[in-house]
Amino acid sequence: MNTLLLNTLLALSWIALTGTFTPANLLFGFVLGYGLLAFTQRLLPPSRYFTMVPRVIAFVLLFLAELIQANLRVAFSVLSPRLDLRPAVVAIPLSVRSDPAITLLANLITLTPGTLYLDVSEDRQVMYVHTIHVHDLEQFRQGIKNGFERRVKELLE
Amino acid sequence: MTDVITAALMIVGAFFMVMAGLGVLRMPDLFLRMSASSKASTLGSGALLLAVAVHFGSVGVTTRAVATIVFLLLTTPIAAHMLGRAGYFVGVKLVETTVIDELAGQYDLRSHRLRSKQPATAPPESDQPQV
Amino acid sequence: MNVSDLALYGILPALMLAILLTVARLLRGPSLPDRVVALDLLTTLGIGVIATYAIATGQAAFLDVAIATALISFLGTVAFAYYIERTV
Repeated sequence: MNTLLLNTLLALSWIALTGTFTPANLLFGFVLGYGLLAFTQRLLPPSRYFTMVPRVIAFVLLFLAELIQANLRVAFSVLSPRLDLRPAVVAIPLSVRSDPAITLLANLITLTPGTLYLDVSEDRQVMYVHTIHVHDLEQFRQGIKNGFERRVKELLE
Repeated sequence: MTDVITAALMIVGAFFMVMAGLGVLRMPDLFLRMSASSKASTLGSGALLLAVAVHFGSVGVTTRAVATIVFLLLTTPIAAHMLGRAGYFVGVKLVETTVIDELAGQYDLRSHRLRSKQPATAPPESDQPQV
Repeated sequence: MNVSDLALYGILPALMLAILLTVARLLRGPSLPDRVVALDLLTTLGIGVIATYAIATGQAAFLDVAIATALISFLGTVAFAYYIERTV
């Protein structure tokens, strides 16, 4: 976390040096600071920062791509004259255990169209998910486990 | 250039907003309606707020727009979760085409707790813990 | 045609259409949670209207209203859900 502070400080000093306080310039300062810190990595105390930042960015990009693509799919199914739906409430066995990981996973599931997080059992064994269109239950379970759950686990546990 | 981005974001936002309204009206049961409304409205209002941030381009406006988007992203799933739970307790019917409902009978109606397996009357599936 | 014209004559009518569709669901029901979903969507649409109106008029101050609306709508939905669940 100290490296994050250092990066923020570098971005702010870039702002002070150039004298234009706009969002784009702040972002540029961050990118510049990150490049500088990555370049002098060996001089700094070891930190998880340099593995975490690309991972977080990849995660956000994957999520945005998924969000837009799946939203379009739902839009098509809403617009089609005959609603072609095969909804189901599916129990998914959980392998993440911590509160933040479960919360993040639940939010991701709800925000990707077609799936809606309903609840987690008291003992944290099973998550119940509602889905609009299901072909194969086992395939759907594996899709969630290998997609979002694996990435959330990499990120938080 | 910023005008083009603003216009594109606004059109995308309005499109998803209309999809949310249409979905809420056309979908046949509560959970499908929540499915349609929660995401399309998040994406729609997110795109419109981003359009505001791009259009004005100042730090104050951008931070406020981004804060609102983050807030919406955090709260919409929670609201949907609580409403779905409440709907389940009230006994909202699922549409007939529903393939399977693995949540049925898992809520303890008195203590409002949620079990992970069928209660003792059903045959146990396996003794091994589920991983 | 500039951006504020597009917002005024293109985007706001589309949002009005969405609001009408949602109000139809609000009136039709059939259950209380359905109506709450419609109300929740109406406030989110309201946030979209405020954002579009801010662009149409060039007044960024409207954004504060959008933030307050987002906060209140979440609290309202959670309160509704809580009391619906308690009625059983």
